[in-house]
Amino acid sequence: MRDGWASQHKSTRQEIHKLPGLADRDLASSATAGLATDWRFAVAYNSALQSSTAALAAAGYRASHEAHHHRIIQSLVFTIGARQELIRRFDAFRKKRNMSSYEMGGTISEKEAAEMAAFAGDLRQKVERWIRENHLELKL
Amino acid sequence: MLTRVTFLDTIVPIMSTAFGCSELSAALFGRTRRAILALLYGHPDQSYYLRQLVRSAGLGLGAAQREVKRLSNAGIIRRTVSGNQVFYQANADCPIFGEMKSLMVKTTGAADVLRSALAPLAPQILLAFIYGSVAKLAQRNGSDVDVMVVGEPTFGDIVSALGAAQETLAREVNPTVYSPAEFRSKLKARHHFLTAVIGGEKVFLIGDEHELARLGARRLGKPAQKHPSRDS
Repeated sequence: MRDGWASQHKSTRQEIHKLPGLADRDLASSATAGLATDWRFAVAYNSALQSSTAALAAAGYRASHEAHHHRIIQSLVFTIGARQELIRRFDAFRKKRNMSSYEMGGTISEKEAAEMAAFAGDLRQKVERWIRENHLELKL
Repeated sequence: MLTRVTFLDTIVPIMSTAFGCSELSAALFGRTRRAILALLYGHPDQSYYLRQLVRSAGLGLGAAQREVKRLSNAGIIRRTVSGNQVFYQANADCPIFGEMKSLMVKTTGAADVLRSALAPLAPQILLAFIYGSVAKLAQRNGSDVDVMVVGEPTFGDIVSALGAAQETLAREVNPTVYSPAEFRSKLKARHHFLTAVIGGEKVFLIGDEHELARLGARRLGKPAQKHPSRDS
């Protein structure tokens, strides 16, 4: 907040409910048969990002546009109390997704895409639990 | 910092990663010289003042002073005076600049740091190597280090193992992690990214050309550089 990377944001219940829905949609899409590995990875990554955005919105904040993904990932420390290990891993996924999207395609392995999907599923659950325990008024 | 890689082969090829690279550099250079060369040739675009060198490399001031004098007199490093500040940098005009960079990458530089970082996972890794600009010795300040890993550890395991190495190297390390089965099948299918990586320069961290050939890269691979040309 002090650094201006997040602004206070009064989230509506509708908004908070929509975000986990988007995370679920992306997670399900990433499991679509026949999807290229890079795409599976990118869609699962997007799901993890939506879950993180939901937690931030539930806490009443919105990340600024500059370095948006990086900031949303870092915000997990303040929302769900994520450990550095999780942040480091998520941030490595972010770099991987940037490289794959903007620099060179085909750089994601099957193993990495599967791991990204498992990570996104796990994060989705963590965020849902956190919102349920800490923001009763939002009732997911 | 010493890392040893156990080979299953009975014949270990000369210049394989079975050498403890820290030992190699320790046999070639004394501690102070090694630390200064590793820092300056590990970051050839950057200049350092003496106190920075002393602090970053954990050296004694007197020994560092004597060493930078000797190295700059020989033209291996460049001494620049700006106002009342004196800076030191790897000397790109030195006739052995390319060779020194190569030596540092392979011994005290990025390769050694990464090899040590991966050491706890080494029994589960068949092959690991640096590729991209660092392997080509064409890295600029801030170049990421691209690392290919073939083995059982997950991407998360590798990211955790390389976390501290990133800080030591002051560079981003980007791992790509394959299972042996996927690596083999993508090589067989001549997957474009893997074909490009295998055909390019590599600095082996775990395993060697033989392991790469065993994984199916016999026809694609080109030998890891032994005589790197001077960086352009």
